[in-house]
Amino acid sequence: MSMTPIALAASTSAPTSSDTLPRGASGFPSPADDYREAPLDLHHHLVRRPASTFFMHLEGDDHHHAGLYHGDLLVVDRAISPRPGHWLVAAIDGELSVLHLERREAQLYLAPSRPDLATLPFEADDDRLWGVICYAIHALPAMGEEPAEPSCLR
Amino acid sequence: MFALIDCNNFYAACERLFEPRLEGVPVGVLSNNDGCVIARSEKFKALDIPMGIPTHKIDPALRRRVVLKSSNYTLYGDLSARVQQVLARQVPTLEPYSIDECFLDLRGMQEDWHALGARLVRSVVREVGLPVSIGIAPTRTLAKLANKQAKAQPTRPQVCVWQSADAPDLTAHLNRLSPRDVWGVGERLNARLAGMGVLTAAALRETPDSELRRRFSVVLARTATELNGHPCLSMSDLETPRRSILCSRSFGRPLRDHAALAAALRHHCQRAGEKLRRDAMQASAIGVYLRTNPYHAGTFRHACEWTALPFPSADTQQLNRAAQRLLARLWQPAAYQKLGVMLTELTPRQQSQTTLFDGTDPARQEALMHAWDTIRARYGRQALTLGPQPVDASWQMNSAYRSACYTTRWDELPRARAR
Repeated sequence: MSMTPIALAASTSAPTSSDTLPRGASGFPSPADDYREAPLDLHHHLVRRPASTFFMHLEGDDHHHAGLYHGDLLVVDRAISPRPGHWLVAAIDGELSVLHLERREAQLYLAPSRPDLATLPFEADDDRLWGVICYAIHALPAMGEEPAEPSCLR
Repeated sequence: MFALIDCNNFYAACERLFEPRLEGVPVGVLSNNDGCVIARSEKFKALDIPMGIPTHKIDPALRRRVVLKSSNYTLYGDLSARVQQVLARQVPTLEPYSIDECFLDLRGMQEDWHALGARLVRSVVREVGLPVSIGIAPTRTLAKLANKQAKAQPTRPQVCVWQSADAPDLTAHLNRLSPRDVWGVGERLNARLAGMGVLTAAALRETPDSELRRRFSVVLARTATELNGHPCLSMSDLETPRRSILCSRSFGRPLRDHAALAAALRHHCQRAGEKLRRDAMQASAIGVYLRTNPYHAGTFRHACEWTALPFPSADTQQLNRAAQRLLARLWQPAAYQKLGVMLTELTPRQQSQTTLFDGTDPARQEALMHAWDTIRARYGRQALTLGPQPVDASWQMNSAYRSACYTTRWDELPRARAR
C-alpha cells in the first residue's frame, strides 16, 4: 500500500522557525545576529516525546478541586511510568477516564473524585492504564479575543 | 540479523485505541466509500465474515453484533509514523514496508535477540498503544516467516527468533511449509516448482542455485539463498517498481454536472502529481476514465481516453490541463459514479535545462511544484488547491462511520471523562 510520507515529528508539531534572518535594508547583517536565539517554542516545551504524546480534552468538572476543569487540554504521555500522585488516563467502563493515582498502605488505587464511584485497586502493568497526564492547559476568559487599541490604561 | 515487525490487525487496533468500548468487540473497517470490509479484528474474524465482503451483503443478524468503521487513513498514517519513530530510536536502520509493517536491519548489533524483540514489542505497546509482533532471523525472507510464526503464538509478547538458518525449529517449519508461503513465490511459481518435485520450502532451499537460475530466475535463486540464511535481497528487489499511478474514487452520490466532475478531476490530478513527485518520476501519458453505476437502471456508460503529454511531466498544472481536455471530450449527460485519472510510461525525472517549446521554464515549474508540495505538506491539502474545492464536495468519500482524526485535528481530539 502506498501512503503519503508522513513527517516523523508528531503531526501536531508547530512549524519550526527559520534559522535565517532577514538582513536590514542596508544589506549589512544586524550586529544583534550573533546574539539571536531560537524563539521559545511552547510545543517543544510541552511535548518531550512526540511519538508517545497525545492531546485530549477533559470532560466534566469533578476534578475542579485539583485545578482540572471541563474543556481543559490534557497533554498525555504514554511513555511515563505512573507513580502515586500522578493524574492518569485509564480505560474504565469502556471510556477514557481521568483519575488520580494514590497509595494507601502498600496498595495503589485509582481514586475518583465523584463520591458515587468506588476506588479501584491498581496493579503495576495494569491493562486499564492509557497514559499519564503531564499538563492540563486551561483557557482564561480573554482567550481568543482581539488585541486592544494601544492607548489607554497602560 | 533482520527483523520484521508488524502491527496486529492494525486498522482495528487504531480504532480501539481511542474507543476502549471496542475492546473484545468484533470490529470491521470498510474500504474507501464504505464499499466492503478491508480489515477485521480477531473477534470479527471469528464470526467468519470474510475479507472483502460488500458491506450490504453482511447478514443483518451479524451486522447488529459488529461495529463497522469507515477507514480513517489520517489516523492510521499518524499512528504508523509514531510506531516507526519508537522503533527507529532503538535500532540502527528501519525500512518501512507498508503502513503496518517495517523491517529492521540489526546488522552490527550484538544482542540477546529474544530480549531485544520483547523490548521492541513492549515499547510500541506502551508508547503508542498498538499490539505488534516481531520475527527475527538472519535474512529478510526468514524474518518474514518468523513474524508469521510469532503472530500464531498465544502468549505476549509475540516474538519468534531463528538464530541461524539451521536452527532445528526453523528446519522443521520449512519442512511443513509450501513454497507459495515464502515471500516472492507466487501461485504460478509454486505450480512450476511442484512440477519438478519441489513441494516444501525446505526442498526449495536445497535445490541447487544453478538449477534455479537456469529454470526460473535470479530472484528465485536469491530467495533460496535467503532461506539458507545468506542475506542477498534488498528492499528494492522486493518492491515492484511503479509502472503507473492510478487515482480514482467512487462518488458519494452520482454526479451529472460537468463542472462537478471537473472539480473531482482536479483533485485527482493533484494527488497523482504529488505521488509522481514523491517518487521522483515523470509521466509521458495520461488517461481519464468515467463510468456510471453498473447496478443502476439506465444505460451503462464507461468511457476512457488517453493522451500523450507534450513532454514527460510531473507538473500538476500540466497534468490537469491534459486531463481536463480529455474530460471535455468524454463527457456526455449521464449520472456518473466513478472518475479516475491514470498516469503511465513513468520514467525517472530528468531536469531539462532549456526552455520548452511552449515557453515554460522547467526550472521555474520545478520550483513552483516544490513550493506547492511544501505548502500542502505543512498546512494541509485544503490550504492550496487548483481551483475551488469545497470540503464537503459530494464526490468525496462516503465515510458514514469514520472515527475522529484524534491525533491530527484540534477540533477532533478525544475526550477523557473526569471520574
